[in-house]
Amino acid sequence: MEFAIRYTLPKLGIELVDLEGASCCPDPIYFKSKDKMSWLAVAARNLSLAEDLGLDVFTNCSGCTATLSETYHLLKDEELKAKVNERLKRIGREYRGTSRVRHIATVVRDEAGYDAVRDSVVRPLEGLKVAIHYGCHLLKPSRIMQVDDPNNPTVLENFVEALGATPVRHRNWYLCCGKACQVEDVPANMMRDLLSTIRDKQADILCLICPTCFGQFDYGQMKVARQFNEDFHTPPIYYFQLLAFAQGVPYDKLGFERQRFKPECLRRFETASSPAVGASATQTEAE
Amino acid sequence: MAKASADKDDVVRVDFRFRRELAEKLEGNLASFCYQCGACVGDCPATTYSDGKFNPREIMLKVLYGLGEELLHEDSIVWECTNCYNCHERCPQEVKPVEVIISLKNMLADMGIYPDPVKKIINTFEETGRTTPINAAVHRQRERFGLPPLPPVPMDEIQQLIEPASDKGGTD
Repeated sequence: MEFAIRYTLPKLGIELVDLEGASCCPDPIYFKSKDKMSWLAVAARNLSLAEDLGLDVFTNCSGCTATLSETYHLLKDEELKAKVNERLKRIGREYRGTSRVRHIATVVRDEAGYDAVRDSVVRPLEGLKVAIHYGCHLLKPSRIMQVDDPNNPTVLENFVEALGATPVRHRNWYLCCGKACQVEDVPANMMRDLLSTIRDKQADILCLICPTCFGQFDYGQMKVARQFNEDFHTPPIYYFQLLAFAQGVPYDKLGFERQRFKPECLRRFETASSPAVGASATQTEAE
Repeated sequence: MAKASADKDDVVRVDFRFRRELAEKLEGNLASFCYQCGACVGDCPATTYSDGKFNPREIMLKVLYGLGEELLHEDSIVWECTNCYNCHERCPQEVKPVEVIISLKNMLADMGIYPDPVKKIINTFEETGRTTPINAAVHRQRERFGLPPLPPVPMDEIQQLIEPASDKGGTD
């Protein structure tokens, strides 16, 4: 995934700067459950590193973006900001609130645009049926994330169309991947329902924008298929890997062999002669 | 359904001590604004896929009644929350039920109670500054993909930051 991001974004005119000294965001499920104030302090430290560089921050994980966006949002409260800065003083840092936090999806949508994505494609994925899974933290809480309409988002459909592929929205597009839930039955029942809907739509692959969701749909899909004795077999793909493939990276260079469900259906685009780039698919901009 | 402790005259007595402790946690006080409309329930995946066993409205009610002992124990229902933030999105009172639930988890953590997988990830973070452990296989994979080596995390800084404030036992 990281390789795909480092490969695809420069092709869209976006320069990446690594945030030296950064730690885990931290995650909004586990460490946040221990102590919210420590969670907030560590997140504020990470943001202060970006402030020193005078840059905005993006992350490729919806959970990371959730932590950092929530921190940015919460620390507009001066009293809380003062408390967090008391902690940051221990290590000689200060949070000022000058760097915006963004999800990789909005950076690409707003800075490069769907047309730039379409223009970067050398291998249009025509005829590929792509089921969409938005996941939770890309969209919600919408007041904090400010990415897209949480009740009727379009950003992922537009991204998939820009590759020449056909997005397939299914009944359970808005469902959670279940990662945070610490019992067996809730995520298993949910995943079974979700995967059944995707199977009914006969999608070739399932496109994800969050690495955590990815794990749930790869290893998790195998687990749920065994548990319920169901034939689930839709390979999950992280969007930027799909983009890298469409931009011409060979299938074998993208790490797909490490997946439990391999998107072998993509191989047909490697052998096919490339039709004219961007010949199909009209769409509307989200903004 | 939760029953608040009642005396012989059926007068409900609310345990405010638990509520005050919860309110010390960041956004743990927000349940106070809950008027039990149930908007959080309709869109809650944990409710749907647990046949209603997990119910965020009911958790908020238990908080309002101060029924800490029903929420703060091993195998607490709060760990069934999927952290999807639908309740945060839907709540007309901005109660942010998911945040109240995480605040309850903070109280459980103060009591040293966590599910094992959660404890393990928290330990990894506290020891390495990352949630996923980094090992030789990860380094090999990165090399294979031509990715730069992972920069070190200044753990002395992280450890100083997560040290609780001395006067209030971690809640600040």
